[in-house]
Amino acid sequence: MTRVSVGDASLANLLARQGAQLRAGVNRAAAEIASGRPTDIGQALRGDFSPLLALDASLTRLKAYARNAGEAGLYAASQQAAIRGLSSLASGLGSTIMRSKDLVTPAQVDVFGSDARGRLASAIGMLNAQPAGRAVFSGMASGTLPLGAAEDMLDALQTAAAGATTASQVASAVADWFSSATGYGAFYQGAGPLTSPPIAPGETADLSVTANDPVIKETLMGFALGALLDRGVLFGVPEERADLAQRAGETLQRSQDGRITLAARIGTVEAQIEAATTRNSAEETALGILRSEQGSVDPYEAATRLEELRSQLESLYLITARVSRLSLVDYLR
Amino acid sequence: MSIASALNSALSGLTATSRRAEILSSNVANAVTPGYARREVGLRAAVLGGTGQGVSISGIIRHVDKPLLADRRLAQAADADRSTRASFLAQVERTLGTPDSPGSLAARLAAFDAALVEAAGRPESQAKLGNVLATAKSLISGMATATRDIQTARMTADRQIAEQVGLLNSTLRKVHDLNVDLQSFTGAGRDVSALLDERQRLVDRIASIVPLREVERQGNQIALFTLGGAPLLEGNPVEIGFVSTPTITADMTQALVGLSGITLNGRPVETSGPTSPILGGSLGALFAVRDDLATGAQGKLDAMARDLVERFADPALDPTRAPGAPGLFTDAGAAFLPVDEAGIAGRLRINTAVDPAEGGALFRLRDGLGAATEGPPGDATLLNALHGALTGTRALASGGFPAGLRSFAGLTAEILSDTASRRLSGEADQAFASARLNALADLEAQNGIDTDQEMQSLLTIEKHYAANARVIQTVEELMDILIRLGQ
Repeated sequence: MTRVSVGDASLANLLARQGAQLRAGVNRAAAEIASGRPTDIGQALRGDFSPLLALDASLTRLKAYARNAGEAGLYAASQQAAIRGLSSLASGLGSTIMRSKDLVTPAQVDVFGSDARGRLASAIGMLNAQPAGRAVFSGMASGTLPLGAAEDMLDALQTAAAGATTASQVASAVADWFSSATGYGAFYQGAGPLTSPPIAPGETADLSVTANDPVIKETLMGFALGALLDRGVLFGVPEERADLAQRAGETLQRSQDGRITLAARIGTVEAQIEAATTRNSAEETALGILRSEQGSVDPYEAATRLEELRSQLESLYLITARVSRLSLVDYLR
Repeated sequence: MSIASALNSALSGLTATSRRAEILSSNVANAVTPGYARREVGLRAAVLGGTGQGVSISGIIRHVDKPLLADRRLAQAADADRSTRASFLAQVERTLGTPDSPGSLAARLAAFDAALVEAAGRPESQAKLGNVLATAKSLISGMATATRDIQTARMTADRQIAEQVGLLNSTLRKVHDLNVDLQSFTGAGRDVSALLDERQRLVDRIASIVPLREVERQGNQIALFTLGGAPLLEGNPVEIGFVSTPTITADMTQALVGLSGITLNGRPVETSGPTSPILGGSLGALFAVRDDLATGAQGKLDAMARDLVERFADPALDPTRAPGAPGLFTDAGAAFLPVDEAGIAGRLRINTAVDPAEGGALFRLRDGLGAATEGPPGDATLLNALHGALTGTRALASGGFPAGLRSFAGLTAEILSDTASRRLSGEADQAFASARLNALADLEAQNGIDTDQEMQSLLTIEKHYAANARVIQTVEELMDILIRLGQ
């Protein structure tokens, strides 16, 4: 006789397993709703992390580029401000002498000389600007001020121009000093141009302007020529002194175009940095959106799943309770 | 004498019924005992001198579905095999990290990459150079941790092999002892069901270690073979030999000297490959973890470490470094040699020349490892070159990868993805094996004790007992009548 029977353990096992499975599902769905991320990212991406990791790496790198661009922006802006300052110093001095071209009295030359001496000190001070601890005209030697004191420069120039008796001799001695490696080349304490910092993926900002730039040198030379007057160069020869003042004014006027070009060059870099910053942040936003799409769960789907599991689990509890009470023993009295 | 034989029959009925009650009570008591097989009293009509003479007990029938039992044991072995592998693969994935985990190798690499970019933007900043050093350290410590985890998993596998071999040996001896007991008791005609239960339970215990085939021999004896054909118990138990290795390093393999294999009665057997007789259960899986899966994962990690070292050891990168001197990443302080690839991921160090904690100086990250004095602080040439070395593509020197040029991040992503896919396929295999085991275990449980059915039988036993007693009472009355006739 074959008797159909189902062992008690069978039903108990089945209910326990179903319960465990459903509870694990509930845990999973609840965790996914709470965190917004799949509990098993490997499964969600079918084991291919490459796109997501590339996104993450780009996002991390973009943050670094954003910081770099911010610092490069500050650097360029400081340079721009210094050049603007130089221009206003130069145009102020240059135009005084040009206006008084016809009537140059020794007294005017003296005033011009002392004005130029003050402006030279200011110009050097501007070029020695150190925003955020970086000397912006020193190139790679960013820890060192590019130029020494104005008086030191004038001392050197006076030595170089010693023995000169005409304005043209003084002017050529000064020009020689500015173009010589042992003259201005040694006075300039900085190093070669700064390495262009990376500001966006594959893009660098050209921050190569230093105090060794010809335009800056020419401007400083203009101030220096005037300042030498205050130092008493060509003392006792009023015509030559007037001529030297004239030459100083001309040099400053002449270098104006160069300064404008230089300001434009730095302005272009500033614009480039600005554009890179905007592009970086736009890219970061776009990648961020992509990242959250790739590595996240649909909250609606997860909530629906949780609701479904909840009702299943409740039914299972009900069945467990009912079925467990079904025993012949209870009815055998 | 028919009345007397009626009395006999009724008595035999009573005896049989009480025996059934006894067996039934045992069934009910063991309703949840694992390995307990339902028993039934075998009854047949007693025949004496050609006529029916009541009922006699033919024996105790133990209900076991042998093919199902064999299938379940094989499923148990397959399940143990797959889950051992899957849990190791999941461990590797955890230790290397996923895009979600903040400490993953990829996240550490991204931080190092970003630190180089930032340092190139502000090369004079000590903080940014320090950050390059810190993130580089974090990257190699991630690799070292992964190496340690993988080697620890190998050591754990080795220890578990020793434990399982010990369990196999002791269980086989116990099964053998039971075989001996059964031989003597079977001959004596006793109920040996309890011994059979115990023996089945013991065999079940080792069925997950190796896939077993049980062969019945005469007199309730069994012989045990592995599915691969190696005898484990044939007359006498086989002595399985294994020597545990307490410390395992990345360069130790079974092929080279260092790690133990398995011997059966002193004869070594293969632990992998198609000719191995012990594969298919947790023992084979543990050998696979120790000798194949872990070394594979370590190999990937070592290839990654080697690529990292070689990227920064390019002679064109840093002219201040002496030829042959170690680059930014060193093999425990020395220059890396290709013969030392095994375990390099665990031995990576940062060149001490750049580490202030080791007597070096941060400026060498910017000015070159061999720089004696600090160069211009705004010179980012080397830092840019270092970033280029990290992000550039190059061919891998290590074997085991498809050919092609990769960036370091690409290689990392490839290894992490590969680890995740292996884990997923391991889990899929395991899910299949465990579903099969569950299905078979359910079927087995259905053949187990059904208390409702036992209660029904109890009702019939009650009824039969009462009926037999009634027959005796009636026979007594009949006899009384006969006795009164004589008075």
